[in-house]
Amino acid sequence: MQIREYILRRLMILPLIVVGTSIIVFSLSRVGGNPIAIYLEHEMTPAEVAEIEERYGLNEPLPVQYLAWAGGVLTGDMGWSAVSAQPVTEALFSRIGATLEMAIFAAIVAITLGIGLGTFGGARRDRLPDHLTRIFSISGASMPIFWFAILLLILFWVNLGWFSTGRSSPEIFASIAHPTGLYTVDALLAGNLGAFLNAIRFLTLPAITLGFGATAIIARMMRSSLVEELNEDYVDAARAKGLPERLVLRRHARRNALIPTVTVIGLGFGFLLQGTVVVEIIFRWPGIGRWMADAVLRGDQATIMAYVLFTSILFLSVNLIVDVMYAYLDRRVVLGG
Amino acid sequence: MTAAAPAAGGTDVIRSPLVASVEGLKVHFGTKGGRIHAVDGVSFDIRDGETLGLVGETGCGKSVTARSFLRLVQSPPGIYAGGRIRFWSSLARRTGADPVDLLSISQDDLLDIRGNRIAMIFQDPGKALNPALSIREQVAEVFYQHRSDDLLYGLADDPPLIIRRAAGQRARGLERLLLKLPPLRGHAAKLRSRVDVHVAEALAETQIANPRKIMDSYPHELSGGMKQRVMIAQALACNPDLLIADEPTTALDVTIQAKILELIRQLQHRHQTSVLYISHDLSLIRQTSDRVAVMYAGRIAEVGDSDAIFSDPLHPYTRGLLAAVPSASHKRGGLAAIEGNVPELVDPPPSCHFHTRCPFAVELCRSLDPELEMVNGHGVACFAHASAEHLGVMPEELPSFAKRTR
Repeated sequence: MQIREYILRRLMILPLIVVGTSIIVFSLSRVGGNPIAIYLEHEMTPAEVAEIEERYGLNEPLPVQYLAWAGGVLTGDMGWSAVSAQPVTEALFSRIGATLEMAIFAAIVAITLGIGLGTFGGARRDRLPDHLTRIFSISGASMPIFWFAILLLILFWVNLGWFSTGRSSPEIFASIAHPTGLYTVDALLAGNLGAFLNAIRFLTLPAITLGFGATAIIARMMRSSLVEELNEDYVDAARAKGLPERLVLRRHARRNALIPTVTVIGLGFGFLLQGTVVVEIIFRWPGIGRWMADAVLRGDQATIMAYVLFTSILFLSVNLIVDVMYAYLDRRVVLGG
Repeated sequence: MTAAAPAAGGTDVIRSPLVASVEGLKVHFGTKGGRIHAVDGVSFDIRDGETLGLVGETGCGKSVTARSFLRLVQSPPGIYAGGRIRFWSSLARRTGADPVDLLSISQDDLLDIRGNRIAMIFQDPGKALNPALSIREQVAEVFYQHRSDDLLYGLADDPPLIIRRAAGQRARGLERLLLKLPPLRGHAAKLRSRVDVHVAEALAETQIANPRKIMDSYPHELSGGMKQRVMIAQALACNPDLLIADEPTTALDVTIQAKILELIRQLQHRHQTSVLYISHDLSLIRQTSDRVAVMYAGRIAEVGDSDAIFSDPLHPYTRGLLAAVPSASHKRGGLAAIEGNVPELVDPPPSCHFHTRCPFAVELCRSLDPELEMVNGHGVACFAHASAEHLGVMPEELPSFAKRTR
C-alpha cells in the first residue's frame, strides 16, 4: 500500500539526517570553546597542555577528529563525563529514564488536554468556554516555566504538602527492580501499588509544569484549526446528510483540524525537551536536563555533545512518528515527494 | 407577504400535490452595523415531481433560502426571523398527515429529514467532500444514519446491542475497539459488506463506471465531475422527496456540466424526486426548470411557469435580466446591463428593493413593500401590475412601463 511505502521511505532517510545532525553537533562543539578546558588547571605549562591535546587527538585535522568521535558513538563510547565522573554512556543511561518518564507524562497531559480543550473551545466559538480556553492558552504560552513551577511548589508543597520535590521516596524505590528506569512502570511491573502512587506523587508537579506550555500551544492550534474547519463546506454537507452534531464534529471537522495540530505536537516535543532543563533543576529531578546544565556551566564538552546528539535523535524520531500520523490523517501527503 | 397561498385558487386542483411550501420566510443576519435582511419574506411552493428554479444574482439570498430548508444557516449570526417552510414527506402525502414546519421541528426530527427526505448537493464538490475520508466512508454514513434497520434486517436473528449501535453510528470509543475484536468482528464485517453493497449501488446509479474501485479512493484522486457524481449518489441514496441543488455545476467544466444536468434529470424522473434548482444562470434554469422563481435582494420578484417567465416577463428586474442574456438572435454589443448595484440590506425601510435600479420607479415604490400578485397566471411583486383600488391609491400614483422615470 502507498502508506507503507511512505513510511519506509521516511525510515530510510532517517539515518542520513542523523549523520547530518552529528556533523552539526561536532562542528558546534569546536566553535564553542576548547574541548579540554575542563581538564586544564592554572599551573599547567604549555607543554603539559599540548601533551593533553596530543593524548586526545586534538591536533589531528577536524574530519579525523569527527570520525574518531562518531566511531566512538557507534560503539557506545562517547567519552568521559567530567561532571558526573563516569563514562558519558553510563551517565546518560542512568539519567535518561527520569527525563523520559517526565517528558512522556508531560506529553500525555499536553496532547490529551490540549486537543480536548481546543475542541471544546473551538466547537463553542465566541462563547464562554471558548474565551476560557483562549485565556488558558495565552497564559500557558506566555508564562515563564520557572515562575509557574515555583507557584506550584509554593501552593502544593509548602502550603498544602501534597507533593514533594525529588523523584521518589528512596526507601520505597530501593526495594524494587528497575528494568526500565521509568519508576511508574517499574512499580507496576513489580506489582507494587504503593510504589506506583509514590512515583505518581513525585511526578505530578514536574509533569504538569513541563506540559503546561505545550498544552497551551496545542490547544490554541486545535481551536483555531477547528474553527476554520467548521466553516468548510464538507461540514455542512455532513450535516445535510443527517449526521448528529457529535459525528459532524468528531468524524469530520476534528479529523481535519488534527492535521495542523499534529505538526504542532511534533514541534511542541522540542519545546518539552528544552523545558526539562529548568524543570529538573527546580524540582531536583535527577534527569539529563540537570546533567546537561551542569555540563554547560563547567564546559564539559563530551557531555554536551552526547546530550545534544541524543535529544536530536529523540526529536527526529518523534517527528517521524508525527509525519506518519500526518499521512494517516491526510492521504494527500502520501502523494507528495 | 401574502404570496400565492398553497391550495388556494382553482388552478391548483389540477396540479400535483405540494412537497414544500415556503411562506414568508425571513432570515436575518445580526452584524455590528445592524440586521442584514438577507431573506426578507420569501414565499413559493414546490410540487411533487417538479423542478423549481430559483434564480437571482450573487447575494440575493437564494442560497440562504435553500439552506433554510435544512436549517443549515449558521446561527449566530443567522436568525430565522419569521415565516415557515412546510414540508410533506411522501409518507405524509400517502397517509394524509399534516406537514411539518422545517423551521420549528425538533433537532432529532430534523436529523431524520436531512439526507433522508430532503437532500442537498453543493456548489463545489471539491469542498463538499471531506478530504480525509474515503468515498466509501462518506457515502456509507448516509446508510448508517437512515437505513440502520434495513442493514440489520436478516443479518442475525438478534444482533448484539453493540452491532445495533454500530449500525446506527452510535458506537463510541471503547465499543469501536470491541467491534474489532473476535466475538464481534465477524458481525461487524458482515455489516460492513452489506453497507458496501448499498454504497456500490448508489454509486453505480450515477453512472460511475467502477464503483468498487472509486469507493476506495479519496476525494483528491477524483475529477470534479466524478466528485459531483459522488455527491449526487449520496444525496439520492435514501430516495429523498426533495433534492436541493445549490449551483451544482458552477464549479465544473461546461462539458461536464451538461452531463451532470442530464444525470440529475434522469434520476429525478426515475425516483420521482422534486428538485429545487438554484442558479444565477438563466439559460441553465430555462433548460432544467418547470417553474421559476426570480429572486432579488432577499425577495421573490416574480414566480411562474418557466415558459411564461421567459416569454412574458412581468417584473422589470426579470426583463432586465433577460435582456442581459446573450442569445443567437442578439446583435453584437446589443446586451443591456441593469444600471446600479444591489442595495445594502441592513434594516431596509419598507420599499420595493429594486426601486434603486428600476427605470420606472415612482414615489410609491420607495415607500411601500410590493406584494406578490397573480397576473396572467404567475406571481409578480411590482406595483406596475397592482390594482390602485386594492392598494388605496390613485391610479396615476402607480408606476407604468410606458413612463421611464430615469
